[in-house]
Amino acid sequence: MSSEQDHLKETDTEARFGFKKEQQSAFQTEKGLTEETIRLISEDKDEPDWMLDRRLRALRQFHEMPMPTDWPGQPDLSEVDIDEIVPYIRPDIDARGGVDDWEDLPEEIQDTFDKLGIPEAEKNALSGVGAQYESEIVYQNMQEQWEEKGVIFCDMDKAVQEYPDLVEEYFMTKCVPPSDNKFAALHGAVWSGGSFVYVPEGVTVEMPVQAYFRMNSEGMGQFEHTLIVAEENSEVHYIEGCSAPKYSAFNLHSGCVEVFVKDGAHVQYSTVQNWSKNTYNLNTKRAIVERDATMEWVSGSMGSKATMLYPCTILKGPGATDNHITIAFAGEGQDIDTGAKVYHNAPNTKSTIESKSISKDGGRTNYRGLVHIADGAEDSSTSVECDALMFDNESTSDTMPYMEIEESKVDVAHEATVGKIGDEDVFYLQSRGLDDDDAKQMIVAGFIEPITEELPIEYAVELNRLIELEMEGSLG
Amino acid sequence: MAQLEIKNLHAKVNEDGGEEILNGVDLVVNSGEIHALMGPNGSGKSTTAKVIAGHPAYEVTDGQVLIHLDDEEFGDEEVPEELQTWELLDLEPNERAALGVFLGFQYPAEIEGVTMVNFLRTALNAKLEEREELFEGDESEDDEDDEAGYETSPMEGAADEGEIGVAEFQQLLKEKMEQLDMDEAFAQRYLNAGFSGGEKKQNEVLQAAILEPSVAVLDEIDSGLDIDRLQDVATGINALRDEQGAGILQITHYQRILDYVEPDHVHIMLDGEVVMSGDADLSVKLEEKGYDWVREEVYGTA
Amino acid sequence: MSKQVHRTLSESQVTAISEELNEPDWLRELRLDALQSLDELEFPDVIQTPGRTWTDLSKLDFEALVDPEGALEQKERVAPEGVEVLSFAEALEAHESLVREHFGSVVDPQENYLTALQTALFTTGTVIYVPEGVEAQAATIRTTMAGQSLFNYTLIIAEQSSSVTILERQETADEGDFDERYYSGIVELVAGENSYVQYGSLQDLTENTYNYGLKRADTDTYATANWIDCNVGSRLTKTSVETVLSGEASESQIVGAFYGHDDQHFDVDARVWHENEHTTADLVTRGVIDDEARSVYEGVQDVGRDAWNTSSYQRENTLMLSDESEADASPKLIINNHDTEASHSATVGQVDAEDLFYMKSRGVDEHLAKNMLVSGFFVPVLEEIEVEELREDLNGRIQDRLAQRTA
Repeated sequence: MSSEQDHLKETDTEARFGFKKEQQSAFQTEKGLTEETIRLISEDKDEPDWMLDRRLRALRQFHEMPMPTDWPGQPDLSEVDIDEIVPYIRPDIDARGGVDDWEDLPEEIQDTFDKLGIPEAEKNALSGVGAQYESEIVYQNMQEQWEEKGVIFCDMDKAVQEYPDLVEEYFMTKCVPPSDNKFAALHGAVWSGGSFVYVPEGVTVEMPVQAYFRMNSEGMGQFEHTLIVAEENSEVHYIEGCSAPKYSAFNLHSGCVEVFVKDGAHVQYSTVQNWSKNTYNLNTKRAIVERDATMEWVSGSMGSKATMLYPCTILKGPGATDNHITIAFAGEGQDIDTGAKVYHNAPNTKSTIESKSISKDGGRTNYRGLVHIADGAEDSSTSVECDALMFDNESTSDTMPYMEIEESKVDVAHEATVGKIGDEDVFYLQSRGLDDDDAKQMIVAGFIEPITEELPIEYAVELNRLIELEMEGSLG
Repeated sequence: MAQLEIKNLHAKVNEDGGEEILNGVDLVVNSGEIHALMGPNGSGKSTTAKVIAGHPAYEVTDGQVLIHLDDEEFGDEEVPEELQTWELLDLEPNERAALGVFLGFQYPAEIEGVTMVNFLRTALNAKLEEREELFEGDESEDDEDDEAGYETSPMEGAADEGEIGVAEFQQLLKEKMEQLDMDEAFAQRYLNAGFSGGEKKQNEVLQAAILEPSVAVLDEIDSGLDIDRLQDVATGINALRDEQGAGILQITHYQRILDYVEPDHVHIMLDGEVVMSGDADLSVKLEEKGYDWVREEVYGTA
Repeated sequence: MSKQVHRTLSESQVTAISEELNEPDWLRELRLDALQSLDELEFPDVIQTPGRTWTDLSKLDFEALVDPEGALEQKERVAPEGVEVLSFAEALEAHESLVREHFGSVVDPQENYLTALQTALFTTGTVIYVPEGVEAQAATIRTTMAGQSLFNYTLIIAEQSSSVTILERQETADEGDFDERYYSGIVELVAGENSYVQYGSLQDLTENTYNYGLKRADTDTYATANWIDCNVGSRLTKTSVETVLSGEASESQIVGAFYGHDDQHFDVDARVWHENEHTTADLVTRGVIDDEARSVYEGVQDVGRDAWNTSSYQRENTLMLSDESEADASPKLIINNHDTEASHSATVGQVDAEDLFYMKSRGVDEHLAKNMLVSGFFVPVLEEIEVEELREDLNGRIQDRLAQRTA
């Protein structure tokens, strides 16, 4: 093994992601969800009335909708009692909307993001960074050149104040209305923080912008909202990372992402999800893609106790393209139920879904995906490939694709395989001098190679590192 | 004697804003002649072949593709004078085939579940029928309706055997396969399914031999062949001309096949046009000097 | 919602059916229990996605469809040497304990609303008994429905090291005076140790008939249960063909073929449960839909925790001949043992344009070329059919359909 990997082996997951900080907050709500709580959140944020109205309407919808329990093989959500969640914690910093110098943050928050390597990454490879701690963005910065070109990258709460017209038009209206599902409704009621990205026509943001979400407190819910509007022929790559220390009580993360990809634009949305293993990660992510535009979802799901996440693309304009790349890794006690949804609503649209999942030590992965080709979406094509690797007999690997084809002039293909780590393969590598763990790691790296080779290098390295940490955690 | 005449042919990829590929191709191929069409990648050779056969991926924007037939073109049937010239661009691919135009594909389709023997016999009979229709006009419309519904499976062979019966056809197929040194077992295999690249090319020549075209356009029939198979294929092509009097338009990258199938005429394409024509020596010169030389000759620049 | 058919059914009707057939008490009790259970039972599962129910059974008006006293049929049974192919009455007389042991052992009568309805109301059926060691030729059954509704049970008992192929056809005598009809068929296949059974079915009911079917095999050690399930007729079909691989090293192949036209609706499912070591399954389904027909396919490969060294494969291909047709497909893998080699694939699309052009360039017109491609598309399925009669029948139906094609 290379010395770099040796170094990594010494890295402790606990030290990197699992460290806890004392809870210090400026304001937090009580547990549970009442109209009173919602009013308090909105008041603390000094929001305009229309936003409060939207929150209250979402709350009513939340109460009316049943918990999703009837999906075949879905993760067990019985533990998720909304009344036990603290929905809003504002950390104790002065500047609302985030400071633009890490040094201005309280030491323990600064230390948190230092350990996570965010300031370092900002220097090297990013156009802008937002960092959320509990319910609020605490750091927000973007290189000047982008600001000059009219690019907006700011805290979502700040966007409500400063860009009310854009937010009122796009926020949970035409993409993800709160009525979409129970957790979208919950999100609509209690959302806080997140990013607003606006890229004007024809602008290409060359380096990615990144947002990092950190939950520190026990029993809290994080509900950040991300809204990306990419105007015609623009291009942007948004990366989100997330983590939390592990507590015995459950945490809930229920984010919502809305992406508008206008004619000819290109948006890539990458996620490295590394929530602690007491977190329920129930997200709604959706993109509306116009003529000749492209949406790419890249998701690595490593953490959480249970994840239900199916990034959805609506190919609305002719010639629109969708790419989904998902990697899921479920270890002990984890249930990663993830996949993709694509609606082909226009002619000449194309989607490609690649999913790789790995389950071990009793973990469960499920690919759950829906491809819908509407009548009239002729000359569209979709290709879905799911591969799963299982380590042992305690684990589970499911694949549940759904295809709905209303148009005949199409090309639809779905393929899936499930395999095990072959003893012969491990033995072969061992006979060349690798130990058992290294051999298995190498096989896993090879398994996800076709996907990692399509990723930006920093992202691929991060993903590989996380998987190595996961493997060590339980193999070692 | 038939003649394939291509006049000022312009074509583009058949979609909005599709790329223009042919910018005025002119070519004349008479039956009994062998023409080689050469040119660098992307010069429009394969597109020319596909447009002649009527591939739906291309849209013709200008020009003509004509076939001029002889009054005794199809043996006993006499071709009336007013039906001796056809504009191929107005016709369906199968109608073009019926008029004696054959395309040997660069990448032949693999079709599972349809045996070679059944397909070729169906094709041969369909061609004979289509010809009747084309030359006798509306009279045979009623026949067509009868044919539309197959009595039994096309897999097993129609109850109505068509002009060429099963036994007669099998004899014909056997002879042609022997000529090409092909294993008889191929007849029962599915059309091109699981064939090696060389076997597919051989099969294209076999189909031409059976369908007896007036003009055969062979698209890179020589690529991917080992030397033995190349010789078999060349024998087949020569036989098409020598025994059946077919005209051959052979599209190729390589001089190699021209050592076995000597062309009467050589044409060179560049940027969607035929820019140079000559006799067999031209291909030798091209082999020596390359396309830059052609470019220089034509455009005066390298 | 018309799941209320049982309101028009009474114990006395069920008792009358049972008495008419001179049945023993235990069977009558089973029927009455099934009738009782209707209240609590649900329809068979159908897939639902946001805004779409793949097959909506709740729209069926069972009250109007089912006439418990109108069950008329003609039956032909051909038994090969060594095999008993009996009506239920004959079987109860000759082998009551055998029937009692196996009836309802593979498909629980109260599995869902429609199986319970069938158990309560079935008037006809066949028991096929293949004694130990018998290697038999083909047994054939032809059921021709003549009334408004018919409930037909088939129970196959193949004892140790026996082997048999079975061909069962379901047809309708004529359109009749009925607007709508209902046919329900359950097949239970008990595959004994080291036995081999291939069961082929060709459903060719008239297109005013609603059809529910459930066929399930349970395999003992080294047994092989192979299904061929062909659907051509009916207005709406909801059918599932299933194998529970209970015995070590047992195998199953499920081959499906369907060809829908007009406004036919086929919901065709194939499911296999690997419950023991060294089991093998191969699921192959090919279907064509034309006009406004709609197809739904759900395939499930479920590998249990104890199913070491499993091999499981699934392929599904749907060919759409018309732009008004619709195809839904969901091939699922549920894997709980890592010592598994499993794969599935599914495709949906129209006739390949390159293939079509290739054939046309050889002089074959588009209509004929499409017909040849459709015929060719079914060949892999036809090749799996061992009984020549079934192969020819299915091919005949396919050719009939092709001959009716106008576009």
